Amino acid sequence: MRWVTKLRLRLRSLLQRDLVEAELDEELRFHVERLTEEHIAAGLAPREARSAALREMGGLDQRKEECRDARGLVLLDEVRQDAQYALRGLRKTRGFTAVAILSLALGIGANTTIFTFVNAVLLRPLPYPASERLVILREQPAGSAGTVAVHPLNFLEWRARAASFEALALAQTPPLDVIGADGADQLTRIQTSVELFRVFGVVPVLGRAFTPEETRPGQHDVVILGHGFWQRWFGGDPAVIGRRLAVRDGSLTIIGVAPPGLRIGSIEPDAYTPLPIDPAKPDSIGSRSFQCYGRLKPGVSLDAARAEMAVVASALARQYPMDEGYGVSVSGLHEYLVREGRPALKLLMAVVTTVLVIACVNLAGLLMARAIRRRGEFAVRAALGATRGRLVRQLVIESLVLSFLAGAAGLVLAYWSTRALVALTTGALTVGSAAPIRLDAACLVFTLGVATLTTLVFGLVPAWQVSGVEPRTELREGARGAGPDRRRHRMRSALVVTEVALAVVLLVGSGLLLRTFSRLVQVDLGFQPAQTITMKLFLGGRPDDARVALVDQILDRVEALPGVMAASTIQFLPLTGLNCGTGFWLEGQARGDPSQALPTECSLVSRGYFAAMGIPLLDGRPFDRRDRMGSPRVLIVNRSFARRYFPEGRARGRRILVYSSNQAWAEIVGVVGDVRHNGLTTEPAPTVFLLHAQTPGYITSLVVRADGEASAQAAAIRRAIHEVDPLQAVSAARTMEEYVADSLARPRMYAALVACFAVLAVVLAAMGIYGLLAYVAAQRTHEIGIRLALGASRGDVFRALFGQGARLALAGLVLGVAAARGLRAAVSTLLFGVTPGDPASYVVAAALFAVLALVVAAIPAHRASRLDPTTALRYE
Amino acid sequence: MLLSVSDRSRVSRPADLVQGTLDLLILRVISLEPMHGWAIAQRIRRMSNDELRVGQGSLYPALHKLEQQGWIEAKWAASENNRRAKYYTLTRAGRKALENETAQWERLSAAVSLVVRRA
Repeated sequence: MRWVTKLRLRLRSLLQRDLVEAELDEELRFHVERLTEEHIAAGLAPREARSAALREMGGLDQRKEECRDARGLVLLDEVRQDAQYALRGLRKTRGFTAVAILSLALGIGANTTIFTFVNAVLLRPLPYPASERLVILREQPAGSAGTVAVHPLNFLEWRARAASFEALALAQTPPLDVIGADGADQLTRIQTSVELFRVFGVVPVLGRAFTPEETRPGQHDVVILGHGFWQRWFGGDPAVIGRRLAVRDGSLTIIGVAPPGLRIGSIEPDAYTPLPIDPAKPDSIGSRSFQCYGRLKPGVSLDAARAEMAVVASALARQYPMDEGYGVSVSGLHEYLVREGRPALKLLMAVVTTVLVIACVNLAGLLMARAIRRRGEFAVRAALGATRGRLVRQLVIESLVLSFLAGAAGLVLAYWSTRALVALTTGALTVGSAAPIRLDAACLVFTLGVATLTTLVFGLVPAWQVSGVEPRTELREGARGAGPDRRRHRMRSALVVTEVALAVVLLVGSGLLLRTFSRLVQVDLGFQPAQTITMKLFLGGRPDDARVALVDQILDRVEALPGVMAASTIQFLPLTGLNCGTGFWLEGQARGDPSQALPTECSLVSRGYFAAMGIPLLDGRPFDRRDRMGSPRVLIVNRSFARRYFPEGRARGRRILVYSSNQAWAEIVGVVGDVRHNGLTTEPAPTVFLLHAQTPGYITSLVVRADGEASAQAAAIRRAIHEVDPLQAVSAARTMEEYVADSLARPRMYAALVACFAVLAVVLAAMGIYGLLAYVAAQRTHEIGIRLALGASRGDVFRALFGQGARLALAGLVLGVAAARGLRAAVSTLLFGVTPGDPASYVVAAALFAVLALVVAAIPAHRASRLDPTTALRYE
Repeated sequence: MLLSVSDRSRVSRPADLVQGTLDLLILRVISLEPMHGWAIAQRIRRMSNDELRVGQGSLYPALHKLEQQGWIEAKWAASENNRRAKYYTLTRAGRKALENETAQWERLSAAVSLVVRRA
């Protein structure tokens, strides 16, 4: 009711300015006239009477201004006053201000930092037109949670049958070897069907996209350059269209330049070339090894597309035996790209929210103590007519000022920590777009929102509590009254217990993650990553025997280098996320009957692989030079394979048939140790090692075990390869230690960040305990003085205060441990080698915190026990 | 003298004591009958036996503020000498505020006089 009237009046002042002004004019004129009349009546001449009246009014314009102020700007004015008053108050209590701003700034800074990542990775849409319609299609084997790459035949069928998509594109990423100014170089490349650019909704910034003709079978020597590559190699020269890019067996005509920032999947390709698919023989280009991207038609939902593809998949399964048991998975592209980062960021967001809550609880405690100290001041103001609302507003504005200062400080912290974190999270988070992770407008809004919200939630409660002072009791009791504090005291204690409990939860969590990390570091990889250098070679475009001969020559040269102990190749390196699964038949089984094939993983290696990688030979012999295309076919299996398929005895000497490009019965000549090929946390699977010299493949990694500095060795290896073939491109060298570090990136990030935040939380909680005790000690100074004067020992005083702190810490600890146990399920998926209930983590966390809490509690208790009774008694 | 409402008290940045007092006086005076600004000033002066003189200038900002607060309402009407004048009336909220302010004032003045007399 009242606010409606107020609003109406305020609006009238604002909107009907002219009318209000005229009225004001008339009202004041009336007053001046009456005053003038009075002066005339008293005997002044009319002119003098009028000027006297105006003088007494003290300037009409000034009065009008004041009336305008009173009408519209009262609130604003008071707010400014309150803010100024708050700033003055904060300057006077520097200790309080510093602690409050610091703790809140840490909380806000941590949140802004993690939000920056959440924003960049999860929230910011992919940088393409209508990017919410971009999808990725994968094949889904029945009964498996995972998905596999797409078969070209299925792609053709999907494209022909599905109506949900505006465009579908098939792509593969074989590297492209080009001949540049300083020799051969390996480029990242997307080989793709014609629709790729349409799917992403972009057009080349220069030149043109592929024509349908260029993706039909046949020789099409055209290339579209990636924007970054165009800048790097051609200095962004627009005249590049029509020029030729030299590759090892000829050259490609440059027909276009892709737009900047175009990322297909997780790579930003240097080059795009057409992927010719022969509708009559689609599997001539490969099998389930392609990525399929699509753009939904406008208005078609993801669910509708999924439903349609389910129908298509079941039709295909009836038509093609190879599709039996396969479905189609359709996911949003953004969703798919961030699938691994999402749970990580969610966890971190939960952790920093907890830190912020602790900081806020701390702040609420501090504000409450401060407000209680200022009850006298409020009582006087209330007595002088300030309403409760006015007092609450004053306090809320004070905390708003605090939180904005803290927000600003938090932003500065976030700016720095974001940069540090970008380095820490490299390899741990997949980012869908090329845009850098940095503070942007969304983050600023977030920070502002967090700062305001924390104030409203945590500033309002103490404000409301304290503003309800009864001036009469308050002024009479003065600062010494101890009675009415009890309730507020309990509330503050509860706050401290809460923040201790939250800090303990984080501490336990970080203990679990740290132990997980240390377990991962200790995992037996099954190979020796130290001194192992790897490089990628792409050997496509040659006949099989030429490839085998080339690899042989390269290995001979590299082995001859000084410091090189062993050299070999493998198709998919361990820990790179790539592997190959196949089936095999034991001797005596019906040959080639797919229903009887036994599953195994397979690795395509060259001679010397086990020595180069440092994998122990358990039985038999390794591959060597004698094993060639024409010699008896040989295989080596790992220990898991031997145990699983030959549990009764030796695997060596047995013959099996492995499904492969050049399949034949082969004899197992050796057994080697298990390797964690698919990741540190994945148990080794049965694996069969095929020999490249007998079953050639065209993508391969060179593996070299060498003494000395890796980069110098890498340069020597590169020279050795170019001595064999000057046009053979080689990728940059990476050591196996780097691959191991990559696999540790995410658990390391979890452990490091959660530990950082846990430390932050613990410090804040300790500050909370200290703040409460110091406050209690200050309030009870007088009482302590009396006690000491009456003969209490200093030990008694110490014990009383210290006991209070210890009780709070203990209560928080118990609560925190209980809460942590309740949250076990939330972290179990992130753990390895420790159970979520790992007693050591709990005990260490509890002990650490207990020690810290006791030290923190001892400081104010000790100080209070050292009080001089005479000074204490005089203390107000 | 403590309670004289000085001309220099700027209404937009009031000292709480003085401003609160002027508000109380205004509310009290117009609780008798609707009045225009001039009459309010005269009435305060007369009721206080010429002790309290409302500054000619500070009255109107105070009135406008009270109007904005919803404690008083304004209406234009003919004045005693048949000129148009702005008459202020107490609202219901204003009447309640007057009660509160009066009670508070009594508490404060009692407290102040206690101190002043003892000291």
